[in-house]
Amino acid sequence: MILQGRSISRGRADGTVLKLEEALSFLGGVDASTGELRVQREGNVKDRILVFPRGKGSTVGSFVMYDLMVHDAAPAAVVNSSAETIVTTGAVISSIPMVDSVDVALIKDGDRAVIDGDAGTVELPDVRVTESSSSAVFIGDRILMLHRPDGARSFPGRWSLVAGKREGSETHLETAKREIMEETGLTVGEPEASEGPLLVREGDVIWSVSMFLFRLPEGSEVHINRENTEYRLCSLEELKAMDLVPLTLESVGRMTGGR
Amino acid sequence: MYLTDAEQAVLDGESGEGAQKAMELVVALGKVYGAEGLVDITSAHLSGASYKTIGDGGLKYLRDMADGGAKVSVPSTLNPIGMDRDRWAEMHIGEDFAVKQNEIVRLYGAMGVRTTCSCTPYMGVNVPAKGDHIAWAESSALSYANSMLGARTNREGGPGALAAAIIGKTANYGLHLTENRRPTVVIDADIGDSLFEHSLLGQAVGMRIGGGIPYFRGIRPGPEEGKTMAAAMAAAGAVAMWHVEGVTPEAGDFDVSDLEVIHIGKEELKDAEEKVNTVDDVQLIALGCPHLTEREMHEIAMMLKGKKKRGDTEIWFCTSAAIRERCADDVKILEEFGPVLADTCMVVAPIEGTFSRTATNSCKAGNYLPTLCSQKVMCRDVAQLLKVIS
Repeated sequence: MILQGRSISRGRADGTVLKLEEALSFLGGVDASTGELRVQREGNVKDRILVFPRGKGSTVGSFVMYDLMVHDAAPAAVVNSSAETIVTTGAVISSIPMVDSVDVALIKDGDRAVIDGDAGTVELPDVRVTESSSSAVFIGDRILMLHRPDGARSFPGRWSLVAGKREGSETHLETAKREIMEETGLTVGEPEASEGPLLVREGDVIWSVSMFLFRLPEGSEVHINRENTEYRLCSLEELKAMDLVPLTLESVGRMTGGR
Repeated sequence: MYLTDAEQAVLDGESGEGAQKAMELVVALGKVYGAEGLVDITSAHLSGASYKTIGDGGLKYLRDMADGGAKVSVPSTLNPIGMDRDRWAEMHIGEDFAVKQNEIVRLYGAMGVRTTCSCTPYMGVNVPAKGDHIAWAESSALSYANSMLGARTNREGGPGALAAAIIGKTANYGLHLTENRRPTVVIDADIGDSLFEHSLLGQAVGMRIGGGIPYFRGIRPGPEEGKTMAAAMAAAGAVAMWHVEGVTPEAGDFDVSDLEVIHIGKEELKDAEEKVNTVDDVQLIALGCPHLTEREMHEIAMMLKGKKKRGDTEIWFCTSAAIRERCADDVKILEEFGPVLADTCMVVAPIEGTFSRTATNSCKAGNYLPTLCSQKVMCRDVAQLLKVIS
């Protein structure tokens, strides 16, 4: 999988990800002579692909990054969701490759990552992409939700839209219609809305999900197959209390315009 | 981001490694802010001069830059350093600090930076004209340059401003563009004439609006009032530009009739004063944030003339070397009470090694002394402060 971000500081690096979940101030957050982290978690930034949402704190943080480089304790590269000036300055003056505008939720601690600071890319060689389609099927004003079995290979035990992997050379829309037929027995027409593909990380897979919204008349009969254990017709309000596959609520909200 | 062929050539290393690194930084910062291109600058003012603030990492960075042959290509001045270059012992500063501090100054000098270390370069040393694009760090100075002089700069950081000085260009966004210099709020100020009230006005406005571009009515600031307002607004908030009706050069360029109007009077100044006052007795009185002007040096000297120093409280007068030289008669009077220090100030000097309670007449210092110097602060009018020691 190659994530396309934006080039901030030049250079290439190949290494293991050290992931921080919160914004980082290098001043106070990292020991300038050893690279040991002092905040958020145990770890050492030396030679790691340091991934965190964004920088914060004192502008002296730029010089802490320079000090790390001088002490041979600098990270091999930096990846941010959104770059700000302190880390940007530190990365450039210390010749640390840096990429931003990447969804850091797709990168996990311990991943192998190859950073290209010139092209602005983050390659995750051990993570594979699986394409799928996921459909919000409305029957009247209720949305059809399927319960995934506890033994399912992806997102076990969660509530899902009607979803499945792309097969052969079919289009994303064809995948969506086929999955709806197979899993619910319903035949749908043209989608009212679509978006994506959305990217969701699960284990060593990044799901690339094309989203669709279909509407069927009230009373349409649902016959689920063995892929799911149960179905429910839910209001949007009810969805909020359910254990859902990631991004379901956000995407349905966008495709319906919140209605 | 659009780069000309010449700019791209610098980025590709055709003008040497120093210029290439500088261009890389200016371009990267431009990307962060969504700049569409670069703009030529006429001057730079650099922060990151005190060893206390930049530490060993900053010192090593400057050494590598200077050793690599980096040179500024536009007139560039430097912010205050952590001590008076000659009188650091009077500031209770150790030799180890002094050696490293002097090394920093030497390195900036080697890169062609004018090492008159002051936060008021616009008082005669580095004075931009209206419409000049400049790359200035030091929040009070750049706010003064934008507002009182009509020059154009964003809030540059230390390394970014140095990089801009080396290539003679900075990223073209924010306050470099006319549409972003438009006032965002009207401030109806109902205050007295004193300098201290202008500092409190800046504090009150910074606290109230955070950022944005205030348009003042009801005041007529001169250089000193503008200086202290700019400093307080940039410290209490993130204000980098402001207008004053009938005073500042771009105030007449914009229609403000649709803007929200905020009244700042006695009550708001009182709130501001409470915010920056945390102690009633002090060990040190430090004046000159931003650096004292000739007029201030003279006024303070006149207030102290004929009086005797009393009590244990120390007093420092902080200004630039140039102004200290020009005010020889006033300096003689002031020196009876405490050192007239050049090139430094109480915020960037390591005063926390000696003092824990400091007085100032500057709301900017009132904001930074607690965080950067671990001080409890008394913030009063200069006449009141002088009564403590005379």
